[in-house]
Amino acid sequence: MTPVASLAPLTVAGPLAVAAAMLALAHALPRYVPDVIAILTALGVAAICAVLARHALEHGALVYWFGGWRPLGGVVLGIGFGVDPASAAIASFIGLLFAASLVFAWGYFDEVHAHFHVLMLLFLAAMVGFCLTRDLFDLFVWFEVMSVAAFALTAYQLEAPSLAGALNFTVTNSLASFMMLGGVGLVYARAGVLDFQAHGQAVARAGHDPVIAGAFCLLAAALMIKGATAPFHFWLSDAHAVAPSPVSVIFSGAMVASALFVLAKLGLQVFAGSADARALMRGLFVGLGAVSAVAGGLMAWRQRHLKRMLAFSTIAHLGVMLMGLASLTATGVAGLVVYFVGHGLVKGALFMLAGVLLATGQSIDELRLRGRGRGQWATGLAMALAGILLGGAPWGVLDTGTDLVHAAAGGLARPWIAAAIVLGAGLTGAAVLRACGRIFLGLGPQAGEEAHSPTDEETERADRPLWLMLAPCLLLLALALLPAEAARGLVARAVAMLADPSAIPARVPALGRTSAALGWASTALSLSIAAFALWRERLPRLLTGVADRATRPLFGVLKTPHSGLVGDYVAWIGVGLAAFSIALALR
Amino acid sequence: MSAAPWLVAALLFAAGVFGIVTSRNFIHLVGCLSVCQSSTYVLLLGVGYRWGAVAPVFYDHPPGTPAVDPVVQALVLTDIVVGATVTALLLAMAVRVHDKTGTLDPQALAPFPDRRR
Repeated sequence: MTPVASLAPLTVAGPLAVAAAMLALAHALPRYVPDVIAILTALGVAAICAVLARHALEHGALVYWFGGWRPLGGVVLGIGFGVDPASAAIASFIGLLFAASLVFAWGYFDEVHAHFHVLMLLFLAAMVGFCLTRDLFDLFVWFEVMSVAAFALTAYQLEAPSLAGALNFTVTNSLASFMMLGGVGLVYARAGVLDFQAHGQAVARAGHDPVIAGAFCLLAAALMIKGATAPFHFWLSDAHAVAPSPVSVIFSGAMVASALFVLAKLGLQVFAGSADARALMRGLFVGLGAVSAVAGGLMAWRQRHLKRMLAFSTIAHLGVMLMGLASLTATGVAGLVVYFVGHGLVKGALFMLAGVLLATGQSIDELRLRGRGRGQWATGLAMALAGILLGGAPWGVLDTGTDLVHAAAGGLARPWIAAAIVLGAGLTGAAVLRACGRIFLGLGPQAGEEAHSPTDEETERADRPLWLMLAPCLLLLALALLPAEAARGLVARAVAMLADPSAIPARVPALGRTSAALGWASTALSLSIAAFALWRERLPRLLTGVADRATRPLFGVLKTPHSGLVGDYVAWIGVGLAAFSIALALR
Repeated sequence: MSAAPWLVAALLFAAGVFGIVTSRNFIHLVGCLSVCQSSTYVLLLGVGYRWGAVAPVFYDHPPGTPAVDPVVQALVLTDIVVGATVTALLLAMAVRVHDKTGTLDPQALAPFPDRRR
């Protein structure tokens, strides 16, 4: 084993050990010491993962077998971490996002026992393990650790709305973990091993097998519940809206998208040989991605509660990622990886801005905050920039990801995919720009559809220094603006190694660019919709009246299933599973 | 292996889901979630079962005696630990939510109720 590979377990063991030590010593630590330790640990994880990613990119994917249980004679008994460049880069990004979120949360909680930092480090370790593992049962364990840490962090404030949101989150995601375990059990019944690579070979041998198809359905449904794509997405808007804003940064920026990344990994490494799985992904999943993108965009537009708006916009962007991965091509998966990072940066910054408004404006309601942001030009400019990036402007990392997904969709020859991406991204950008214009410029005295959406009173501690909250947010936005075009070649190589970790590709051609026209189209869409909402009192009454009457039934149909009732959400999970089986039966 | 464990697992899962969908009390709902979870125990133990085999403890059996699959049993054990954690967390949250609001009815607790029009 190379010395570099022995760094792999440290990415998980490190934060776990620090969390345990911090919990034991919490009563003795001075006030800001847990903050410093947690930030340094997250940065350390990010650095180690970056080193691993770089090494893997040059010398091939690393494998670390815990306890030295290497496979002997084709028998795999051990549990391994498979460190390919894409997984390690995603893990490194997660570490960076945690560090930014912990800086943002500096002094956020009045507490002495550092429980928040312990939970965050546990959450970090679980997410890194989830991305790096190459063993199905280990994947389930990390999924579950990640969930438990997330449940506790959602309910952290122990107020009635956060507890209700956390209960919905816990019930739906626990059901996801049972389905995942059921899927793992079914695959084990056929393959007799739990290692990804050995699994992939067994699945390829099995051919058309209902047990493998059923296992894929259960695993995919579990990951799509965590990855919040229609019709499994309902918990997200409840949980992300009530969680403390530093936690929502991680939830929307990394947690949900990591489930889709792992789904792509399973699709490429484990189920590549299953024709059923491929057909399901290229057929139904593309459609579900499009539905998520459009429905999430429309619901985001309808919100006045800022965190709930951002939560729905996350659903829309997850739909775009699902469309990228569902193509199962190198371009599409590269799109998913780049989009993951680009969206995480922008959405993380936006949740931080919502947190800044909670602290400085003492409200989370767009209509109540109107004009209260006057004079906070840095916050306002950051929010406008984030809104434009979210709306699909052709700059930076998120745009490169969108472009790759467009290119992959071009291969599927379904023009409605591009329309769904433009509409979903455009609507989410419009919602953020509308809120920005209202809060920081005092525009939009007349509220449209958003006036009818549910809201909540919520505040966060006001005595934190503004620059400390804005600094990590501006850093994320600056990173989001970096030109990612140069990285196309590296991403292409990383995705080739994700599909086949044992190979070192010689030369992979960089993935080509389609055109900036679609990006400009969705920017124009978001700017014009936002302008319509902000200056609607100056438009002819006839025009706004017709627009309202035309869209009202649509919003009425869309809002009905988002009832907040966990029973409804579980029923929708059943509907989703039924759709999977029907799609398989019709094949 | 016969089809019976698969059917029992599917039935348990469906029963649990039905309970969750129709539940009007969070404690009852957590119980239904545990029913869903027990379906995974049945499935996993069914997957690893071998007719006529012994428990995978070789203390008083010579090596090579047919035994049931110990891997799935380890999985079930882990699953039980995980399930206990989640159940404890859910019940703790239910207690807190009852303290705050005086109800355990999911319909009364729904976050962001959107009842206009």
